[in-house]
Amino acid sequence: MTAVEAPPRSPRAGRVAPTAGLRGGRRYGKVLLYVALVAGAVPTLLPFVWLVRSALMQDAQMFVAPPEWIPSPFQWSNFTEALTAQPFWLYFVNTVIIAVISVLGTVLTCSVAAFSFSRLRWRGRNVAFAVLLSGVMLPYAVTLIPTFVMWQELGALDTYLPLTVPSWFAGAGGGVFNVFLLRQFFLTIPFELDEAAYIDGASPWRVFWTIVMPLSKPAIVVVTIFTFIGTWNDFLGPLLYLNDEEKYTLSLGLASFQSIYLTQWGYLMAASAAVIAPIIALFFFLQRYFIEGVTLTGIKN
Amino acid sequence: MKRRDLLRMGGLAALGAAAAACGSGGGTGAAGATELQFMYWGSTFEKAAIEKMLKAFEQKKQGVKVKPVFTPDEYDVKLNSLVAGGKTPDLGYVPMSMSFRLAEQGNLVNLFPYLQKYPQLAGYLPDAYLWYGPDKLHGVATANEIELLWYSKSAVAQAGVAPPPAVASSAWSWDQLVENAYKLTVDQNGKHPDESGFDPKQVRQFGISISVTYAAAWYGFLRSNGADFADEAGKKCLLDSPEAIQVFQNLQDLIYKHRVAPGPGQLAATGDDVPGTNILLKTKRVAMVVDGHWALLDMNESKVDYGIGVLPKYAEPFTTSQVAGASSVFSGTKHVEEAVELFAFHIDPQYVDLYKQGLWMPQERKYYEDQAAIDSWTKNDGHPPEFRTAVVDYARDHGVPDLRNRVKNLSAISSDVLTPALQEIESGKKPAAETLKAIAPKITGMLQGWQHTQEP
Amino acid sequence: MAGMSGQRRMERRWGLLMALPALLGFVIFTAGPMVASLAFSLTDWQVGGTPAFVGLGNYTELAGDELFWKSLSATTYYTLGAVPLVLIVSFAVAMLLNQKVRGLPIWRTIFYLPTLVPAIANVVLWIWIFNPDFGLLNSLLRQAGLPTGQWIYDEAMAIPSLIVMSTWGFGNTMVIFLAGLQGVPRHLYEAVSIDGGGPWRRFWHVTLPMMTPTIFYNLVVGVVGTFQVFNQAYVMTEGGPNNATLFYVYYLFRIAFKESEMGYASALAWVLFMIIVVITFLLFRNARRWVYYEMAGAR
Repeated sequence: MTAVEAPPRSPRAGRVAPTAGLRGGRRYGKVLLYVALVAGAVPTLLPFVWLVRSALMQDAQMFVAPPEWIPSPFQWSNFTEALTAQPFWLYFVNTVIIAVISVLGTVLTCSVAAFSFSRLRWRGRNVAFAVLLSGVMLPYAVTLIPTFVMWQELGALDTYLPLTVPSWFAGAGGGVFNVFLLRQFFLTIPFELDEAAYIDGASPWRVFWTIVMPLSKPAIVVVTIFTFIGTWNDFLGPLLYLNDEEKYTLSLGLASFQSIYLTQWGYLMAASAAVIAPIIALFFFLQRYFIEGVTLTGIKN
Repeated sequence: MKRRDLLRMGGLAALGAAAAACGSGGGTGAAGATELQFMYWGSTFEKAAIEKMLKAFEQKKQGVKVKPVFTPDEYDVKLNSLVAGGKTPDLGYVPMSMSFRLAEQGNLVNLFPYLQKYPQLAGYLPDAYLWYGPDKLHGVATANEIELLWYSKSAVAQAGVAPPPAVASSAWSWDQLVENAYKLTVDQNGKHPDESGFDPKQVRQFGISISVTYAAAWYGFLRSNGADFADEAGKKCLLDSPEAIQVFQNLQDLIYKHRVAPGPGQLAATGDDVPGTNILLKTKRVAMVVDGHWALLDMNESKVDYGIGVLPKYAEPFTTSQVAGASSVFSGTKHVEEAVELFAFHIDPQYVDLYKQGLWMPQERKYYEDQAAIDSWTKNDGHPPEFRTAVVDYARDHGVPDLRNRVKNLSAISSDVLTPALQEIESGKKPAAETLKAIAPKITGMLQGWQHTQEP
Repeated sequence: MAGMSGQRRMERRWGLLMALPALLGFVIFTAGPMVASLAFSLTDWQVGGTPAFVGLGNYTELAGDELFWKSLSATTYYTLGAVPLVLIVSFAVAMLLNQKVRGLPIWRTIFYLPTLVPAIANVVLWIWIFNPDFGLLNSLLRQAGLPTGQWIYDEAMAIPSLIVMSTWGFGNTMVIFLAGLQGVPRHLYEAVSIDGGGPWRRFWHVTLPMMTPTIFYNLVVGVVGTFQVFNQAYVMTEGGPNNATLFYVYYLFRIAFKESEMGYASALAWVLFMIIVVITFLLFRNARRWVYYEMAGAR
């Protein structure tokens, strides 16, 4: 496995003497690092802080100019009233069901396809991949009605099938981005690993499952996060395909705090904050898989 | 090739699955009960009222079940899809941009024959009816709605201005409006726009806010000044007439010449903008706002110290009415009779709370003429004393129906030409005349006449 | 040689098998509706009515449609601004969040938050930020003694304003970069360090080349997605002022669902499709010159 050791584009290493006072430089760098983090965090936190403070305000205070940041009084009732105004618990369960099924299907079928498109050689592979990719280049507005009619003809309206089944076919449509993403990551894993395994008599499935997948955890986590959030926030899908309010999802629940004549801002903001809490927690939990050296350890073993 | 074949070919090219039997509309329930689907939009607030109304209908009509199809947003996307698939609901709301088209295509039931059978249907305000040809009626505007001059009582009192009149006959002239708006506009240092040192960038309270881009806000002014959107044939756009130009120049002047109104995007109030009129008045960012009567619900909910006045007038006082979308019965229904009954029921103030709560105004004429009937929806805490003259009488005698229910092809005209032009006027970059003269011929090219009207 | 061809056969068999769900998904769920919309584009069809075949009529009508050109140029302008900006910002943030700092999970979550805040809350926030009268942006500029602007309410400033706003949507691109950074083998860094290379050298000679597949992915997805930008025009500007932000897909959406002119909308969609296909093709062809894949050595 010597090839792995070779840097990709042999960095033309100039002979530079090790810097003196490296420690001082490091400390200086650390301070800069924290300064950069804080400086970046202020604007990135803005939308979230805005949401939370709005969720705790009365409508009139929400819009005073110049804006106020501390709710007065703290309108905790926004949360209790918003979340009881509609069967949010039911919507939550429905949404979780759809999201979990979609994530499982997407991760499994997209990574299998990506493996085929990146690490197995077969005729027509690149053409097939290009055709697949073209599916995301046509604006959905014009395929929406034919797709809807197709599900109607299949008798699947008012079920979760249109919202979940495509995810088990590599996410059909938008899911192709995931195949592409995983393909790009798979392509960075040294091919010598596969070859060694094939010489030992392994099947492609075995290479996929025991070599490529374990080395691609960060990418799989990305697909998981994106799919989960995408399903969680999907509005148009549930709106089109569901009629029965018993089957409605969180995003439909949120939308009904807003109408042409009347927007219940306090409720809308409070419910929005509550609805994103689980996905924030999910991200917080899953980001730990973005850790350095996964590939390296894989190779060394 | 028929549309359905086309769709089927596309949708099922690969599957070749047996097509499900596809009757449209509601079917017959297992217990032999008739099931109707009622599709609608609205806030949670409206949703509660509609659900209550549907329950009442089920109780009254034994053997009929109504399935509400609540569609909080993207209503036109869903309705277009249902229409394309031939699976429309039995009845429900139809967005204004779609209703006439669906009717002409034959997708909505012609309700004209039912006017005889259900006298209640024949008793609506004349402007409420949505005709798509002689003796062809595709629906009724779901609620009557008019534009009003809302004001903050305390702001008006502080400035020592007489409150806007609540009776149409004594409505302010435009000049009176401007004059009072000056008094009601104050910058951070307490200066008015006509005082030296006034800082237009630091205005604490604007005198007035009128949307330039929302047609219902200015159409009343247009008519009041003897102008109109199009000529009698509905084939020539008249927005470049001197009277029309005057109306739009006056609106532009409020912002840039008199500096008594906020500029684009600052504090528009068209119903769905941010923030609502209730907030503007409560926080006194603006002292007077032109907005629909439906703001009443919000005003009461957020406990604003508001008053209601009629709009200023040029000559005859007018306000835009019938701003709501249509309610219609879809021709796919298998139960036309029941659907029409529910149709009459769903806008009957006896069964829908939204009238008493201030969001809707009735369509039945008697609710504007008969004292007991008027009291039945206005005599409560949610309706202030001036409501009778400033809203009930004003709507009955001075309403002119909104362009969207009257001008053919308006939805395309509006989004492609009119709205961009109005935004240009609002931006103050060119005098109104220049913009209007440029777009009038363009609009003329798109005009297809007025919608038909007749006595019910 | 026989062994090699056995390997080839196996790869072909497994390759097709493993791509099957994706290919089937395309054929079942994507191809049909695409073909249908292509057929619609050759008709004059208002939803609810009967389609009439018009050949290429819709396409020739397009050429004379002022708003089509307007929307195409607005979209191109936006794409040229937003795609590079988001790529640079998200790469920089990903580098930052790949350092060893205290509370890393919290920092990462904070930087991902803007992506999670629901669109409606975001819209209200940005309407306030851009408010010419009392908005955050103008307040800050005023305090700094700089000239203020009308932002999304000004024809010339509307798209630049939306480009700035798009920067806050860096989260997803950033997360992909962050995942990509985990694949850069540490020993390559060590090799550069041993040769006496500093952080800059490490970045230019290791990080950047090793990240090219990820950069390429984000570039392609960014271009494909941004050409279909819709939401900001839909919920914030409604294409205004004076059509300044009339983005292509927003215009298309309006024709498809407000006017129900599905024939014309489909023609619009297919024109955009062709544009995106060509650009993506060029990106892929050009990629051979700068994207580094591991397969280079082995295959």
